[in-house]
Amino acid sequence: MSQSIDESTQTTEIGHDEYDPVGTLALIGLYFLILVALWIFVYFVEFLGNDPTVVTGSALLLAGVGHR
Amino acid sequence: MSNTYLDQFPAEAKVVRAAFYSSFFALAIGGLFGIVQTLHRTDVYRFMDSADYYTVLTAHGVLLAITFTIFFLVGVFTWAVTTSLDRGVENLRFTWAWYGLMVIGTAMAAIPIFAGFTDSIDMSASVLFTFYAPLQGHPLFYLGLVLFVVGTWLAGVDWFRSWRAWKAEHPDERIPLPTFMVLTTTIMWYIATLGVAAAILLFLLPWSLGLIESVNPLLTRTLFWFFGHPVVYFWLMPTYMMWYVMLPKFSGGKLFSDPLARVVFVLFLILSVPTGIHHQYLDPGIAEGFKFIAMTNTMFLLLPSLLTAFTVVASMEHGARQRGGTGYFGWLKALPWRDPVFTGMALAGLMFAAAGFSGMVNAGMNINYLVHNTFWVVGHFHLTVGTAVALTFMAVTYWFLPQITGKALWSRPVALVQVVLWFVGMTFMSNAMHRAGLLGVPRRTAEPQYEGVTFEAAVGSVGELNAQIALGGVILTISLVLFFANVIATGFNGRSDELPSNGYADALSGPEDAPLVLDNLKLWTAIAIVLVIFAYTFPLLSIVQRGGLFGPEVITFPVSLESLAPIAAALEYGGLATVDGVASAVTGALEPGRIAIAEVVR
Repeated sequence: MSQSIDESTQTTEIGHDEYDPVGTLALIGLYFLILVALWIFVYFVEFLGNDPTVVTGSALLLAGVGHR
Repeated sequence: MSNTYLDQFPAEAKVVRAAFYSSFFALAIGGLFGIVQTLHRTDVYRFMDSADYYTVLTAHGVLLAITFTIFFLVGVFTWAVTTSLDRGVENLRFTWAWYGLMVIGTAMAAIPIFAGFTDSIDMSASVLFTFYAPLQGHPLFYLGLVLFVVGTWLAGVDWFRSWRAWKAEHPDERIPLPTFMVLTTTIMWYIATLGVAAAILLFLLPWSLGLIESVNPLLTRTLFWFFGHPVVYFWLMPTYMMWYVMLPKFSGGKLFSDPLARVVFVLFLILSVPTGIHHQYLDPGIAEGFKFIAMTNTMFLLLPSLLTAFTVVASMEHGARQRGGTGYFGWLKALPWRDPVFTGMALAGLMFAAAGFSGMVNAGMNINYLVHNTFWVVGHFHLTVGTAVALTFMAVTYWFLPQITGKALWSRPVALVQVVLWFVGMTFMSNAMHRAGLLGVPRRTAEPQYEGVTFEAAVGSVGELNAQIALGGVILTISLVLFFANVIATGFNGRSDELPSNGYADALSGPEDAPLVLDNLKLWTAIAIVLVIFAYTFPLLSIVQRGGLFGPEVITFPVSLESLAPIAAALEYGGLATVDGVASAVTGALEPGRIAIAEVVR
C-alpha cells in the first residue's frame, strides 16, 4: 500500500520512458573523478612519504634476491 | 482525519515507539560519552582518570554501535513489514516478548560496563566494543549480549511469520520491496550472528565463568569479525531501505528501479559475511592468501554500494525534475532543502560517498597496513555508522515521530539546524581523525601523547587536528541536544489531525520488471552459506590447528584498575606476541611498534 508523492510541489509528471537521468550521470561522474584524484593523492601521501611497509619492503627484498 | 501509522496499526505503533525511545536513550548516553572521550583524548579537558577512558569507550561503542542502531532498526523493520504487507503482526505478545528480551539483554550488558566506574562493585567489562580475548569481561556482559541477539533473532521470526501468513493469502504476488529488504537483511543477520554466538557461548562465556582455563584469542577474534563486519550491514541495510523507499518520496519523485533495489539487497545478503577477515589484515596467524580472498570479496561489495549511489541519486533527480529542476547540476536546486527529513538524509548520503573512499583504503591489503589501528579507522566509521546511519536515522525520525505518536513535530526549523550541525560537526571531526591517522596517531588510546615520539604533519599540526576534533565533537553534542529537545517537546504536543499519511515511495520501474529469481530467498541463502564456507573453513581450521581450540597458554587479564600495571609489564617484557591485539588498546604502543617493524624490514 504505497502512497503517491506530495502533489503540492510537483509541477510535471515524468514517466519511466521520458526520464533520462543525465544529472545522475554528471554527479556520479564527478564522484568518480574525485575518487581517482584521491587515489593519486594516496600514492604521494603514503608511498613517497613513508618508509617501506611490510609489503613493499618484502617486494624490494625479493627484487634484490632475484637480481643477485 | 489523518491516516498515520498510529491510525492504521495502533498496537504496532506502540512497539515501534518503545523501540525508538530505547534507541534514543542509548543515543543520549552514548553521545554524552562521545564528547567526554573527545575532550579527554585531545587533552582539551580531562576530568577523569585515564584508566576510566576505556570504560567510557566501551559504553560509547556498545551503546551506539549495538543498542542505538539495532533498537532503531527493529522499529523501522516492524513498520516496514506491517505497512508494506498491510497487516498487523501475527501475535502482539510475541512482538513485545522479543522487544523485552532485547531490553533485558541491554541492561545485563550495561550493568558490568557501568560498574567499571566504581571500585566498590567487584564487576567490570571495559573490554571495548570488540571484546577481544585476553581482555575478559564479567559473565553478565556476555550473557546480556547473548540475550540481546536472541531478541533480534525472535524479531526476525516475527517478520518471517508475517510474510508467510501474507503469502498464504497472496500466493502469486511479488514480495513488497520493504518486506523483501527486511527478509534479506534478517537472513544475513542470522548467518552473521552465528559467529558471535559461537565466540561467546563456546569460549568467552565459559572462560569468564571459569569453566575453561583459556581461549585461543585469534579464534575468538576471527569469530568476532565473522559477525563484526556484517553487523555494519545490519545498520546500513535499514539506512539503504530509507534511502530507497522514503527518500524518493521526500524528493517528490519515485524510486528509479525496484529490480535494482532487490539486486542490491541480494548482493548484500551474499557478500556481507565472507569478508570479516579484512578487519584482521594485521593479525599474525592468518595466512596472506586467506586475507586476499577476504579482500576480493570486500571489493565485490563496492558493487551494491555503487549501484545504490546510482539508484538513489537517480530517484532524487526524478523528484527534482518533477519539481521543475533542469540542467546537469541545476536540478539540485529544485530539491526540498528546507525539509529536515530530506536534507538530513541527503547529507548523510553525501558523507557516505566520502566514507566510500576511506573504506576502499581500509579494504586494500597494502594500504590498510598504513592506517590499521590508527585514528583513520575511527574517522572512517564515524562517517559510516556515525553519519550515514545515525544522521539518516535522526532525519527520518522527524517523519516517523508524527506517524507513531499522532503528534505534529515540535519544530521543523530546529530539526533542519540539527541535521546541518551534525553534518558540519562530523566534517570537522572525521576529516581531522582521518588526517591524524595518516600521521600514525593510534586509536583506542586515552593519551596519545608520548615522550620521544612526535607525529609530524605535512600540512597543519597535531594541535590543529586536535582542535578540529574537539570543535567537531562540541558541534555534534549541540546537534544531539537539539535532537532530543525536538523528540521530547514533540511528546508534549497534543494530538493533531493534519498529519501526512503513512506510506512509502512508488517505483518508476516496479517489481513486475524484476526477474522472479530475485525473490527466491532459499537460493540466495544457500549461495550465501556456500560462500561463507569457502571463505572461513580453511582459515578457522588453520587457526585451530596452530593455536588449539582453547588456545595456547595465555595469561588472562580481567579488566580492572589493578590489572593495568601487569598488562603494561607484560607488554614491556613479554613482547607483543601473546597480547598483540591488546597492545594498542592498552598502551597505544602501536607507533613505536610500527617503527620497529620498519627497522626490521630495513
